[in-house]
Amino acid sequence: MSCQRLRNWIEERYDVEGMKGLARHKLVPVHQYEIWYYTGGIAMFLFILQFITGMVLSFYYIPYFEHANKSIIEIVTKLNMGWFFRSLHHWGAQLAITALFIHVFSTLLLKSYRKPRELLWISGFILLGISIFFGLSGYFLLWDERAFAAVRVATGGAGNLPVIGGFVKAFLRGGLDVTGDTLTRFYAFHVSVLPLLTLFLVGIHVLLVQYHGMSVPMSLEKKPLKQIPFFPNLFYKDLIIWLLVLGIVVSLATLLPPEIGKKADPLAPAPENIKPEWYFLFLFQTLKLFPGDILGMNGETIAIILISCGILFFFLIPFFDRRSSRGEKSVLFTWIGVFYTLYFIVMTIIGFVS
Amino acid sequence: MKKTIFAFLFVMACALDLLAQEAAPVEVFPSAPYDRYIIFQSLTLFWIAIIGLIIIIRMKLKEIERVQKMGIDREEKDIPLLD
Amino acid sequence: MKINYSLVTRRTFLNTLFGGWLVAFCGGTFYALLKFAFPTLGKEPDFVVLKTADFMDIPANSVKPFAWGGQLGLFYKKQNGSTYALKGVCTHMECNVTYKPEDKKFYCACHQGWFDEDGKNIAGPPPKPLEFFDITTEGEKLIVAKKGIKVELPKA
Repeated sequence: MSCQRLRNWIEERYDVEGMKGLARHKLVPVHQYEIWYYTGGIAMFLFILQFITGMVLSFYYIPYFEHANKSIIEIVTKLNMGWFFRSLHHWGAQLAITALFIHVFSTLLLKSYRKPRELLWISGFILLGISIFFGLSGYFLLWDERAFAAVRVATGGAGNLPVIGGFVKAFLRGGLDVTGDTLTRFYAFHVSVLPLLTLFLVGIHVLLVQYHGMSVPMSLEKKPLKQIPFFPNLFYKDLIIWLLVLGIVVSLATLLPPEIGKKADPLAPAPENIKPEWYFLFLFQTLKLFPGDILGMNGETIAIILISCGILFFFLIPFFDRRSSRGEKSVLFTWIGVFYTLYFIVMTIIGFVS
Repeated sequence: MKKTIFAFLFVMACALDLLAQEAAPVEVFPSAPYDRYIIFQSLTLFWIAIIGLIIIIRMKLKEIERVQKMGIDREEKDIPLLD
Repeated sequence: MKINYSLVTRRTFLNTLFGGWLVAFCGGTFYALLKFAFPTLGKEPDFVVLKTADFMDIPANSVKPFAWGGQLGLFYKKQNGSTYALKGVCTHMECNVTYKPEDKKFYCACHQGWFDEDGKNIAGPPPKPLEFFDITTEGEKLIVAKKGIKVELPKA
């Protein structure tokens, strides 16, 4: 192979040696918590998988409410391996969001959000919101009874936000109620708006990680730690883990392909025991905790206000946690982090079993 | 040297053929037993491919770590330039 | 015969093994992806079955369109009453042709191509004549088939 000629061609025009030198400088510390370093890469890998499977699926999906459900059935029954790629896209989504939550909670508990990495937390949080919306919009494209009801509840819930609720609801729904226009809008979000935003934010997020280097937990910061070069050592370890994740997604996709429900009827009542996707369950359960009326005020509005405050606090944690930004042990915020993590897990499980 | 490379390429061609076969089209939502067997066989082959790849990468990693421990991967300082 | 030295270095061996396996793995994956991305391309049918009643009574010197797979087929009755079927697709750039009864010629508007009543290309860019089909009637069924194809109707 004239690999050497190609290499010469490139080296005459670009500073390959310089770039290689830069790459060699990326070092990663070795310590007992290093396993959590892989969570971000796993999330990114799964999102790339989603992009690829999503792109091929979009060749065949018809985003018009009359044909949407049928087009998916056609994909699953008539196309070469259609059922597999749709199943892969479904399981990829489930695992991507799981990996994302693991990544978020691990950075919360390890306090990687502290100074100087506040912007990583901010961009990451926005990415979390985008990913959840990815999940919701993608699920809606099925246009089956469950998806239809789920979006009705989700957008209706958003409508209960104080002040901005009405606008958010109308913006998301494209009107007063969930209709075919909502499908068009969600399709635009799912294949165009959200992917572009994701690319932009992930780019910033990854660049910031390169700039700041890997965060080390405060308890280990003072000690000198062994550093290994990212290229090639950690790159290969990343590759091994990504291959395992790929194997897991493919196995799940093959052995447990998801169902498709009947086409949605806007006038039909909501199906029995309707539940949203698992990553919404903790919100769903929290809403259930609040009685309909508290001291004369609408219980649901109060619930939404409290939840919004909780989420806002979560979003701004790096700025509230003064002690860790000074590099001091911050026990209060460790407990706050534990509380958030446990609350999420417990509420999700309760939502699942009830 | 040539023989090793040819022997190796032959093995690779077989692997490639196997993997192409694994992706043999499953035309219908699998209910027919024939299709289901193909799918499970493909899944097994896929896992063998992944595990093989992981083993090879681990071999590479071990070799790199062995070389790094010897310290010969870093460039010596003050090495004289050939002009 | 055992040799004292290795034919390849450890590095070359590992890199070839890795590269080769990776190529095979990615090749297999992309093959699966491409098989999905490329739809099962529609084949042109060998024959189509139409209802005799719909076509036999059209006026002389006129055509009636029918579906030939995804393309245009024309059932053609000449001035003298003889019936033919042809593919109404221009042999130049696959535009649909139309029949001009006044001239008794087929005309393609895309590049002003003309075919005579036997489908022969007489003017304009078309390089080949129009494709004619064989017609057979079996009672109510009108079978239009590609020339040379033996039609075996399924026992419907």
